[in-house]
Amino acid sequence: MNDAAPAIVADHLTKRYGDQTVVDDLTFTVPRGSIFGFLGPNGSGKSTTIKMFCGLVAPNSGQGSVDGHDIMREGDAVRASIGYVSQQFSLYSELTVDENLEFYGRAYGLVPARREQRKRDVFELTGIGRFAGRLAGQLSGGWKQRLALATALLHEPKVMFLDEPTAGIDPVARRELWDLLFRLAEQGVTLLVTTHYMDEAERCSSVGYIYNGELIAVGTLEELRKLPGVESPGTVRYAVHTEDVMPAFSAARALPYMKDTTIFGRDLHVVVGADVTQEQLQRDLVQRGCAIAGVERIEPSLEDVFVALTRNRSDGNGWET
Amino acid sequence: MRPPLDFRGFTAVLYKEWIHVLRDRVTLILALALPTLQMLIFGYAINTRVEHIKTAYYNEDQGPIAIQALNALAASQDFDLVRAASSRQQLQSDIVAGKVHVAIDIPPNFSADVLAGRTAQLQVLIDGSDSSIAQEALASSSLIGQALSTELRPQATVSAAIVDVRPRMLFNPSLRSANFLVPGLIGLIMQIITVFLMSLSIVGERERGTLDQLLVTPIGSTGLMLGKIVPYVIIGFVDFLLALLAMVYIFQVPIAGSVPLLLALGVCFLVAALGIGLFVSAIAQNQLQAILMVFGFTLPSVLLSGFMFERELMPVIMQWIGLLIPLTYFLEILRGIVLRGAGLDALWPQVLAMTALGTLLIIAASIRFARTAS
Repeated sequence: MNDAAPAIVADHLTKRYGDQTVVDDLTFTVPRGSIFGFLGPNGSGKSTTIKMFCGLVAPNSGQGSVDGHDIMREGDAVRASIGYVSQQFSLYSELTVDENLEFYGRAYGLVPARREQRKRDVFELTGIGRFAGRLAGQLSGGWKQRLALATALLHEPKVMFLDEPTAGIDPVARRELWDLLFRLAEQGVTLLVTTHYMDEAERCSSVGYIYNGELIAVGTLEELRKLPGVESPGTVRYAVHTEDVMPAFSAARALPYMKDTTIFGRDLHVVVGADVTQEQLQRDLVQRGCAIAGVERIEPSLEDVFVALTRNRSDGNGWET
Repeated sequence: MRPPLDFRGFTAVLYKEWIHVLRDRVTLILALALPTLQMLIFGYAINTRVEHIKTAYYNEDQGPIAIQALNALAASQDFDLVRAASSRQQLQSDIVAGKVHVAIDIPPNFSADVLAGRTAQLQVLIDGSDSSIAQEALASSSLIGQALSTELRPQATVSAAIVDVRPRMLFNPSLRSANFLVPGLIGLIMQIITVFLMSLSIVGERERGTLDQLLVTPIGSTGLMLGKIVPYVIIGFVDFLLALLAMVYIFQVPIAGSVPLLLALGVCFLVAALGIGLFVSAIAQNQLQAILMVFGFTLPSVLLSGFMFERELMPVIMQWIGLLIPLTYFLEILRGIVLRGAGLDALWPQVLAMTALGTLLIIAASIRFARTAS
């Protein structure tokens, strides 16, 4: 255990299936005890990257390490230091909660006394203990995820890989699961979490955005906002609060100085030249018959960042971070 | 990457598989009941005591003894005299046409011979294509012949029978007995059920998405394989015991050789058969593929193992293919021990080959699995 090494290191990791490059030259590090949010559209290579770290998929080239252990050469040490929660529920539905934990405790070679102790620990941590005798297949989505987490934590891994752990579970369960993840990070566990939810991504210590197998941005939220291409020089971003967002959207798009328009719930986020003031924007929209409650200057959200990055990338304006 | 021979996690997998097996009651009951049930159904189809065999006769003699003989045949439950033929040629053609299975030919001087104290011949033509009917007809007709002889000359001092029944087998002169078929049936059914159960196990984990979670643990590929095999060896062994009980007590086929040896070699056979299932499971990507592969393996097992046809009569290449089927060896072991009372001294080549085949299959499955897993 090299405590100086970052918890997760990807060094030019590449995976190809046939002539299709699924993960292309991925390089990043995740410091210990942090939560790394891994984002990107479906099929962009997030799961494949996680599987390479878990030893389920062998990279074609490049290197990686987890907790200081080389993912290619030190499979046993890597397996001992990681916990993996996969995208779909992957425990045994016809076994009870307790039996699933018992099996994985044995699979990780925990001696009986230790197994019992660890079961009690994860019962307490996740609250799944009250369903100990229930068949895993009969749990709700949120509890299934907690069971998956409990199982992955049995052997006290230093690094956790969670592949969309909150997909398809209700908002309360989602919030509770994240509270759990924070508690783990506090205890020094490093977490790599993939998600589609921007609010989750914004809670991460740092995020990476992968698109078509390429990591096109990585850093903290603040760093990402400052990336060139997210905010073109000489532009500002406003949130327009409006009663009726659709007409406002059409009206805003028709403005000659408008650079970008996106609907965010009942608000409109717009990007305009730096010379356009709040008052001018509000006046122009009201003139076109829109009911505008107010306009305020905003920082780009993570979603704005990724929309901008993805557009730049599909426009062919590739850039490195 | 993963080493192919790694026994870690064996007891963990065994623990889990055991729960799987015991919790799925329907599958468990099917797995335990199907073999015996199938054996009873097919065993009886082969072995039921045959009665009311359709019989034709040609009575050229017309004398009193001929009538008496025909009455004796008709009185037995075994023969139904359904056709009176008008010529010897017609007897033959009735059998060829499948109208009757047995034909009685009474020669012209039958009564006269008996009354004069000479041995009279009664010719019985038997359709041998259905071995169970033919056997029954053979046994029954000679019994009736003996009974007639005793009745017609009660004080006979000479040993020669006065009515000499001359059976003639048509089409299948070397009858294969039911004793020959029932042990084979046990081996065949055991192989089919264990290969099926096993082949769905790993591919099932793959399909349900539970395999990746298994593979991030330190469980070794061989540990996983063996942990999955053992519960099915136990199920297969219970099947084997039930089938043997049915064979001995229902089909009345005694075991001539050593029962402990038979049971021990049964376990060897189960491991080999499960090795095939495991191999299928390691190469199939989904359960449908696995089922089709098992299906593709089942028919050669029936046709090439010696269950149905003599292996010696097959083309050499077919004999070689048969050597890749564990059932081929086990059939010889089963028939050897059950019918001829053979021991290990005679059967060791088969035992060795079968065990080697099973071990190779499990190693191959482990290697194949270790490769696809990473």
